[in-house]
Amino acid sequence: MIVTLHLVALALYGLATALTLAPFIRFRPAPRALTIALPCAGAAVHVVAISQLTLIGLGPALSMLAFCLVLLQLASERLLRGAAVSFLAGPLATGLVGLALLSGLTPGADVAAGRNTWFVLHVALSVLGLALLALAFIAAALYLLQFRELKARRFGQIFQLFPPLERLDQLNRFALVAGFPALTLGVLLALGYGAQFSGGLHVAKAQIVWGIFTWVVLGWAVWVRVVRHWAGRRAALASIAGFSAVLLVYVALKLTQPGAERFL
Amino acid sequence: MGIKVVGVNHRTAPLDVRERFAHGAHEVPGALARVMAAGASGGVLLSTCNRTEFYLVADDEPALEAVWSLLGERLPTGPSAEAGAREYGYIARDRDAVRHLYRVSSGLDSMILGESQIQGQVREAWEASRAQAGPVLHRLFQTALHVGSRVRTETGLGMGTASAASAGVAVAGKIFGDLAGRSALILGAGDMAELAATCLGDQGVQITLVANRTQERARAIAERLGGRAVSLEEAWPHFATTDIALCSTAAPHAVVTWERVGAVIGARRGKPLCILDLAVPRDVDPAIAQLENVFLYDIDDLQTVAAQATARRRDEIPAAERIVEEETDLFWAWYGGLGVVPTIKELRARMDAVRAAELERALRQLDHLTPDDRAQVEQFSQVLLNKFLHQPTTALKKAAEEGHGYGLLEAVRRLFGMEPPE
Repeated sequence: MIVTLHLVALALYGLATALTLAPFIRFRPAPRALTIALPCAGAAVHVVAISQLTLIGLGPALSMLAFCLVLLQLASERLLRGAAVSFLAGPLATGLVGLALLSGLTPGADVAAGRNTWFVLHVALSVLGLALLALAFIAAALYLLQFRELKARRFGQIFQLFPPLERLDQLNRFALVAGFPALTLGVLLALGYGAQFSGGLHVAKAQIVWGIFTWVVLGWAVWVRVVRHWAGRRAALASIAGFSAVLLVYVALKLTQPGAERFL
Repeated sequence: MGIKVVGVNHRTAPLDVRERFAHGAHEVPGALARVMAAGASGGVLLSTCNRTEFYLVADDEPALEAVWSLLGERLPTGPSAEAGAREYGYIARDRDAVRHLYRVSSGLDSMILGESQIQGQVREAWEASRAQAGPVLHRLFQTALHVGSRVRTETGLGMGTASAASAGVAVAGKIFGDLAGRSALILGAGDMAELAATCLGDQGVQITLVANRTQERARAIAERLGGRAVSLEEAWPHFATTDIALCSTAAPHAVVTWERVGAVIGARRGKPLCILDLAVPRDVDPAIAQLENVFLYDIDDLQTVAAQATARRRDEIPAAERIVEEETDLFWAWYGGLGVVPTIKELRARMDAVRAAELERALRQLDHLTPDDRAQVEQFSQVLLNKFLHQPTTALKKAAEEGHGYGLLEAVRRLFGMEPPE
């Protein structure tokens, strides 16, 4: 049942993504109502699937991450009055659901942890934080693309379909400033859970060192935004650097130390 | 009585004539009252910079004559003024008049294809003429607004921006998002500068300064747009704070140079500046665009944006025309069916009265008939009347359903000597 629901959500997200990207391959833009209704329907099916999941292991976490991303995509499209975020968030969410299905949706070994409030909060906040940072990354990428087109006086599809620079900048700021504390709190809850219920932290030294490095890079991106009042292109680049650090460190650790994770 | 539109537009009359025919809001009731006094039973006056059109429910004469006379008086051609007005104008009747208004409200008849301002102007005209519009025009204008909305939501006719000035607004919008509350300084005080500044003002941009070599002209525009008139030299320091700079001077060389504003723009600390250079030759040194936070667009760039929009809009014309035709059919079906039921009732009543009178006269001469025979004769007269009226009744109902009822109705009323419908 969980797999079937994920497959339906995957199909709906995939269809919505295809319709959203259609103008880039010279097709007529799909009606706005349809590009909103499809991910909404996908999210409705997805939430039913997630409610039946135990959030332990890579597959369930990726599924949850995709769901958060779709919700943020829908919310930000309301803010931006356009479908631009879905140009990148759509394929990303679809890919994440696909990856979740490939890596299996059955919970990992420590099923009991899935009933612990600390653990559930840790997963929820970490996933929300990651989704917000992904949204900040998307807004920054869209900003840089639109900026390049405007500076180069090119008035093609990007100029037409992407939102104004100012709104992308606002979205980037909000997502970064909200995502960083959410992720930080998620990590702190993991530490609390480890100390309270798991008999200490079962993580390798490399994970701690690189985790701190990622946190510092992200913290720097937030600091220049909030304290130094960076905006526009420089802030977008800082935001991209922050999210790239998260991704690179995750992939590097995944390749060098497989199986050392609790939920991701 | 039928629906008529009589007037002039940007295709039939030059600007100076259209300016003379344009009616301010305060002139509308008086003008309509004159046309109504000439026999129109309903009227709406739509007057914009591109058209002055009287929508009437009237016979051809003399209401239309009243319109030509009214417009003719505004021409400076003395005794031949009336003929002059007619020369610039056009008349569309009935179904064509309905289609015309629907095309107007959807932007198909606009100078800039698909422009949306006309929708608001149609609404304003309807509201200003509401007391004189009458039920038919009331319905016509209500549906015209619906048609305009349908065309804009179901087709791409209103997509993009189709003039250089509005393209400038669109480009600025892609940088700043909502333009309301942004500040703009205007260099130059020509027509183009004024038009573009008005477009910005319509979006809520505050025109803070108008700089020109001739202070007098700058002052006139500044007063209209709510800004302050300054000399060009006084304008340079304001490049540090303004969001948009609109340049359209008649200078033969670049006036906004690196030397004059480079350092000033550098002090903006990354805050974006959108420069719209509408002048030919260009007012702004292209080197200024090298500054990271400066977005510089010249007239060619803006015309590219406008041309793209116009091309896209042209592709949407067939879809928009289909909607107009569909809605014209719907209105015409409603209009055609308006007086059919009361006319059929009146026709039957009249014929029945004739039948009853003739029957009574005949029976007076047929004293020898038994009561049964008299009843037979009466029944015969009823059946005969029903047979006679069956065809006209069904033809009228069918014509009403098909939207041709109004013309047939008039014919029936004329043939059977009935009063014209309300």
